[in-house]
Amino acid sequence: MKTLTHYLLVSAAVLAPTTVFAQDTVRYWMWDGQQAPVYQQCANDFEAMNSDIHIEITQTGWDQYWTNLTTSFISGDAPDVFVNHLMRLPEFAANQMIEDLTPLLAKASYDTSGYLPGLLENWSKDGAVYGLPKDWATVAVAYDRDKLKAAGLAPSDLADMTWNPENGGSFQKIIAHLTVDTNGKRGDEEGFDPNSVATFGLVLNPLSPQGETEWAYLAASTGWRFIDEPWSTHYNFDDPRLAKSLTWIRDLARVHHLMPTVEQTGRLGAETLMFSDKGAMTVTGSWLVGLYHQSKPSVAFAPIPAGPEGRKTMFNGLADSIWTGSPVKDAAWKWVQYLGSDACQATVAKAGVVFPAQQDQIETTVKAFEEKGVDVSAFTKVATSETTFAPPITDYGNEISSIVKAALEKVMLGQQKPEEILTNANEEVNSLF
Amino acid sequence: MSTKLNLPKLFGYAGLAVFGIISLLPIWMALKTAITMPTDVFSTANSLWVNNPVFGNFLRVLGLPSDVPPPANSGSPINFMIALRNSVIYTGLLVTGQLFFSSLAAYAFARLRFPGRDAIFYSFIAATMIPSIVLFIPNFILIRQLGLLNSFAGMVAPNILMLPFAVFFLRQFFLSTPKELEEAARLDGLSWFKVYWHIALPLQRGPLATLAILLSIQAWNDFFWPFLVGQKENVQVMAVALANYQSQTGQGQPDWTGLMAAVMLSIIPVLILLVFFGRRIVESLQTSGMK
Amino acid sequence: MTGRSADKSVNADKGSGLFGNRLRRKEALTGYLFILPALIGLIAFFAFPTIRAAQISLTNWNLMRPAHWIGFDNYGKLWADGKFWDSMQITLLYVIYNIPLQTALGLIIAVLADRLAKSVLFRAVIIAPYLISNVVAGLVWLLMLDPLIGLTNAFLTGIGIPPQSFLSSPDQALISVAGISIWRHVGFTALLFYAGLQSIPRDLYEAARLDGASESAMFRMITLPLLRPVMVFVLVTSVVGSFQVFDVIAVTTQGGPANSTRAVLWYIYENAFQFSRMGYASAMSMVLFVFLILVTLLQMRLLRADSSDLG
Repeated sequence: MKTLTHYLLVSAAVLAPTTVFAQDTVRYWMWDGQQAPVYQQCANDFEAMNSDIHIEITQTGWDQYWTNLTTSFISGDAPDVFVNHLMRLPEFAANQMIEDLTPLLAKASYDTSGYLPGLLENWSKDGAVYGLPKDWATVAVAYDRDKLKAAGLAPSDLADMTWNPENGGSFQKIIAHLTVDTNGKRGDEEGFDPNSVATFGLVLNPLSPQGETEWAYLAASTGWRFIDEPWSTHYNFDDPRLAKSLTWIRDLARVHHLMPTVEQTGRLGAETLMFSDKGAMTVTGSWLVGLYHQSKPSVAFAPIPAGPEGRKTMFNGLADSIWTGSPVKDAAWKWVQYLGSDACQATVAKAGVVFPAQQDQIETTVKAFEEKGVDVSAFTKVATSETTFAPPITDYGNEISSIVKAALEKVMLGQQKPEEILTNANEEVNSLF
Repeated sequence: MSTKLNLPKLFGYAGLAVFGIISLLPIWMALKTAITMPTDVFSTANSLWVNNPVFGNFLRVLGLPSDVPPPANSGSPINFMIALRNSVIYTGLLVTGQLFFSSLAAYAFARLRFPGRDAIFYSFIAATMIPSIVLFIPNFILIRQLGLLNSFAGMVAPNILMLPFAVFFLRQFFLSTPKELEEAARLDGLSWFKVYWHIALPLQRGPLATLAILLSIQAWNDFFWPFLVGQKENVQVMAVALANYQSQTGQGQPDWTGLMAAVMLSIIPVLILLVFFGRRIVESLQTSGMK
Repeated sequence: MTGRSADKSVNADKGSGLFGNRLRRKEALTGYLFILPALIGLIAFFAFPTIRAAQISLTNWNLMRPAHWIGFDNYGKLWADGKFWDSMQITLLYVIYNIPLQTALGLIIAVLADRLAKSVLFRAVIIAPYLISNVVAGLVWLLMLDPLIGLTNAFLTGIGIPPQSFLSSPDQALISVAGISIWRHVGFTALLFYAGLQSIPRDLYEAARLDGASESAMFRMITLPLLRPVMVFVLVTSVVGSFQVFDVIAVTTQGGPANSTRAVLWYIYENAFQFSRMGYASAMSMVLFVFLILVTLLQMRLLRADSSDLG
């Protein structure tokens, strides 16, 4: 039996090909399949200029990406360069898994002034830089042109929406007007049947902990912030402004029936409701423009409503980080520089998939989208330092997310007073530090 | 008499029909999704039929020219033949090994007497109770140290020598079979191995075939370990290739039509196996029933 | 738990003195040889990692930094961690939803198939859901159970029942998860029972029928007792399996809404790979491990696992 085992294992080993590593292979991991071909193009261009370096791109879905990355850190097999998310930055930085790029930047006299303001700062801590920004994202209102027209509204009516947590401003009026029950009565008409809504004026994803496309743009427009400064050890979930903002969202669904309740929304997300004509309007991130354009061409984009303190969108962005254990750091750094260079960023811009991090690529990207027939000005318009706020970057990101997600669900289910739920969650969050 | 017998029988058939429909309905929905235009998935999610079926999703996941444009959230096409070959090798190696080694151990646990036997047997069952989350990191490191990453050897290693489930299952069947035949063979001077191989094992053809089917389906669907250990295309199995179509981004939809088309394609080989093996089971049961 | 039938199997070899000892020693040696490959697999890929996990549970390992020994701190923390005990309670509830129904349905399908539909086709139909992985099954049901656009609510409203929330409401989510899991596994269970039914000698039924026994009497007096070894196996493995429910939850609810489906393995996973608390996750795994051993021992005791009514 031993021989049989041996035989089986050996024959299996024979079937396994021997991998020959070239002198300098830089392994690059990413999760976005939509962008993989674009970056493959960058890699080809890069290899043409650097014949001694081979770029090996591996793309795995988001669900597996982080587990895989963690395992590879443990086993010492991590990719030399990988696409990094702000959520994971604090722990990777604290555990010295990712390289501080400051000395490299200085040595190469790398010009970082071209990045949109705020992007590089997101990836910095105490003077260290842990990733070179590759793209940015903002949010905007996505609406169905056909439904807007049927309601007798024009796109210009959505250009300057206002919102406040008390009565919802013109945003709520438009939502009500866009809501239609099965008898054809609109949400702001007499005789509207709230128990039999055919199309909801607004549909939102189940509330996520960072609220990027669901609630954070509203809460932030009241002046509320997750934290008072980057890397803070104190969160502000107990702020009454947040409770008020969330109460408005809750009541929009549970009291006014202009939005599906959390029990009705399902777990498939707002896009599915837009695609299936159950929603007239939603709020979406710039990374989904391509999907909407393809799956629901009647969807167009308008700026998010302005709250008491104006428009505020979360300004998120990915970056390329270098693994501290990389055996080919020089080559990896060359590749990261190339990823941030005008050449590669222009390639990304022309693909019209995401917005590259360099300021002067915005125009190219907007044009690339225009050629596809999409107006993305609602996203670019708010990409200014006055109309954006940074995502909360602190330690214990995932643990906080878990606590906050449950709290938000409780709020939306109407289980308790929002103030109580949020104050309890805030205590739990702050006790982590 | 005959009417008295027929009523329960009728209920029986009705029950079978209901179970059959419930079993198949979601699979039909998956197939229906696979022949839907990507843009129509959600507007037709509440109906059993799609008005203008398309077959382009199958073509596009195979990387063939297709009239259905891949949605923006689609993964790269699957190299179906390579994934198929890899899955066949992986499943074949794993299930063959599991059946042989597990039945050998199960036989010993059921029939042979040796000190510590029951304790060892219970430690096999206990092995199913440790959450696999804590197993795979040490196993991954071990496989890596053995230099078996991206090889079939590394992919099958943790489970080929035994599967507690299979050991337990076969032991129960050996235990519930009369042992007179085996005792007689022993008295005739046959070695234990020959008794196991020529007498005990053939008596369990039915359970073995059932087990082979269940283990094959399981192995075919194995995802996490093959994903960690076998990422290179030349060893990447179907389930891992399929994951390409699941979640491309943290937020947003999977490529539903592509994923379902790929899933449907990937279960065809198992279906063939099932019908082929299934017939064998029936045959073996009929012959053993006649003895 | 003495393995009564196995003991008897050596009666034939019972010689006296040296001869008998030698035979017995040879039998023991053969036994060890037979289990050797399986034992190697057990030690290398189960026992060794389990010991590692036990070690890790005494440290603060975060998967990235070298671990520090912290004694039994993780276990102390666990004792006081309400979320862990909540998750155990949710898991227990899930097992209660899952096991009786899945076992009963599996048995009914197996008996019906054995009596009425011996064709391969029916068994292929019944096992079909198992062909689809947990992840894909979760996705398909996510689409079907969607409250607003799903097929299930379209059907329910069609026959006059108000639409349900399924995975989106804290009251129905866990039941829905259990339902998906039963849908996928019931054929698996049925096939195991079917294999067991096929091993029951047919002449027993014929003799009983001659004695005028009714169908239900035969089921109680012949089928159930002779099926016990398989029943033990099915119950033990499916209980252990359903305590470790994970995939479907990961795809459909991720522990929500409002933590209503945060089963223990999901909580362990969160701690291990999202919160990077591998030490703590290992401690919880150890507790779950011990708990499952106790549950199984209890089951084996109740089911008199090692005796077969036939032998």
